[in-house]
Amino acid sequence: MSLRRVLFVLAWLVLPCALAAIAIAAVLFARQGGVEPYRMPHTDRVVAADAATLARGDYLARIGNCRACHTTRGGTPFAGGRAFATGIGTVYSTNITPDREHGIGDWSADEFAHVMRHGVSRRGALYPVFPYAHFAEVADADLDAIYAWLRTQPASASEPPSNRLEPPADSRRALVGWRMLHYRPRDARIDPNDRGRYLVEGLGHCAMCHSARGERGSLPPEGHFAGGRIPGIGWYAPPLDRMQLARYSDGELADYLRTGTSAHGSAYGPMAEVVYASLRALTPDDALAIARHLKQVAPAPLRAPVGTEAGNDPGSKGVQVYAHACADCHGKDGEGKPGAYPPLQGSVAASAPDATNALRLVLYGGMPVALDDGPRPHSMPPFVQQLDADEIAAVVNYLRRRWGGRDSALTAQDVEAMQGIVVD
Amino acid sequence: MHRRSAVAFLLALSLPAFADDGIAERLAACAACHGAHGEGMQGTEYVPHLAGKPAGYLFEQLAGFRDGRRVNASMTWLVQFADDGWLHEIATYYAALPPRTQAADTGAEQLTPERRERAGRLVREGDREHGVPACSACHGPDLAGVEPGIPATLGLPADYVVAQFGHWRNGSRRAREPDCMREVARALSPEDIRAVATWLSQQPNATGLRPAPAGSVVPPVACGALQTEATP
Repeated sequence: MSLRRVLFVLAWLVLPCALAAIAIAAVLFARQGGVEPYRMPHTDRVVAADAATLARGDYLARIGNCRACHTTRGGTPFAGGRAFATGIGTVYSTNITPDREHGIGDWSADEFAHVMRHGVSRRGALYPVFPYAHFAEVADADLDAIYAWLRTQPASASEPPSNRLEPPADSRRALVGWRMLHYRPRDARIDPNDRGRYLVEGLGHCAMCHSARGERGSLPPEGHFAGGRIPGIGWYAPPLDRMQLARYSDGELADYLRTGTSAHGSAYGPMAEVVYASLRALTPDDALAIARHLKQVAPAPLRAPVGTEAGNDPGSKGVQVYAHACADCHGKDGEGKPGAYPPLQGSVAASAPDATNALRLVLYGGMPVALDDGPRPHSMPPFVQQLDADEIAAVVNYLRRRWGGRDSALTAQDVEAMQGIVVD
Repeated sequence: MHRRSAVAFLLALSLPAFADDGIAERLAACAACHGAHGEGMQGTEYVPHLAGKPAGYLFEQLAGFRDGRRVNASMTWLVQFADDGWLHEIATYYAALPPRTQAADTGAEQLTPERRERAGRLVREGDREHGVPACSACHGPDLAGVEPGIPATLGLPADYVVAQFGHWRNGSRRAREPDCMREVARALSPEDIRAVATWLSQQPNATGLRPAPAGSVVPPVACGALQTEATP
């Protein structure tokens, strides 16, 4: 090829493509927040640490549930190391105790606020298992109170394990690419006086579990509170909207948040942990504000339609297993027993588009949250030793068809594939 | 399940102390493996009985599963979101039930006469040379346990006991310090562990002995379990 021809191709074909690619990248980079997230603040500012501020920081850290993710079972609080299984590998939470070398002891208040708001620390961009999109909503004064309180916690020199991730996800630079595709900071923060919304969308970070995820673990707006399978945990989180929560009164929902128990059902799995570690501390006013906010959320576009297959032939085996193993407590017609056993009609286990929760509860049973100042729980026995996989599939199909309207067609293979208790 | 629920219900009625609060019914999840009376059950022989063990011991185990000092996914799954009050209530309930009187593994392998003799000597006299105290020196002269924190060793399935020694050796079962069982488990050979476990599993607590009173047994080694607070 002659030099002229090469130059011609370059000028008319390659160059425009390259320029277009650069332009697109520039736009995407601007939309993920531009360069601001990558400029760590070097300012230092004294924050108040009086008793009232510390008490507020303690409360807010509790509602944000920092401790649950940043602590291993039985480990030093806030010393990190809890494993999070994600689609790209395992991410370990960090040490956020005041240790200067291993924790965040030499962070300024501004640096702390920057990391919470932007999801970028001095090590680079953070994996989005850290809910920075939500913490960006937290007011300055509240971030300062959390910062001040964390600094009063015992320092730990423990170093969490290194993340185990496949390339290219093991590179912090690749996270900038992820942010360009999937992270869109909001222009304005929520008014803290809109208390329910402020807590739900901010520190509460409810949408991390209760939303439908998009590509590469992203949280697209159309899936916000649409419900979905929680990555790496093996539980389904129901939608949070006015349809889903219609059976709860405001007061019932507020009580459920603080105790994990209600006339409509109890929290199990990850939600039980959230109640036990975090929401139990909610003031009655905050619990009510959250309940009121959630009960008026409009259903999301990606929300699965409600089940309509009720009355389908449930199969005789499911009927038999139900009568033998379940009806004593949950009632012949799935009506439950008030104050003891929840109804199955309309329950998340029966009506969710995903059979995961029903299957886990039948296999391994459960014990609702037992708080010293809450109701004494009624447990559900595990059936993994008493029923075989065929029987478990049959009874889950039966209860989901009869009380959830779901055309459930689990097989024994599905049941076996689901086995294994996830506790951490 | 019908029968088990009925048994649990009758049991609740037959125990005036618990008749009002229906604790047996609330603990259906426990009964599935440990038996309606905490006595253990057919088909789950590797699961220990609970009935009649000291409440302080039972509480420490429940809290241990919750807080990571013991490792068993089924147990952790059930107790991980419970405050101390509920765990104390569960422990007190099972502690008050009549102790298991049967041997655990009547059909287990028969020990050769030499191994039976070796096992019996370890249980009654220990192994001075390896620094292993006798089981009976701490678990009580009748091996029925000691209040408030040392469990009976009679009636436990051999596989369960062997598994516990394994957990102590690899650090996945921990008790309050000083954790003497960790040292015992490390000092015993696998052959001795298997022999002692089998020997113990074949002894019944035929007369339903309860744990010895607190302070009646002075262990030859420092024991964290005896510093367990008695359940209120």
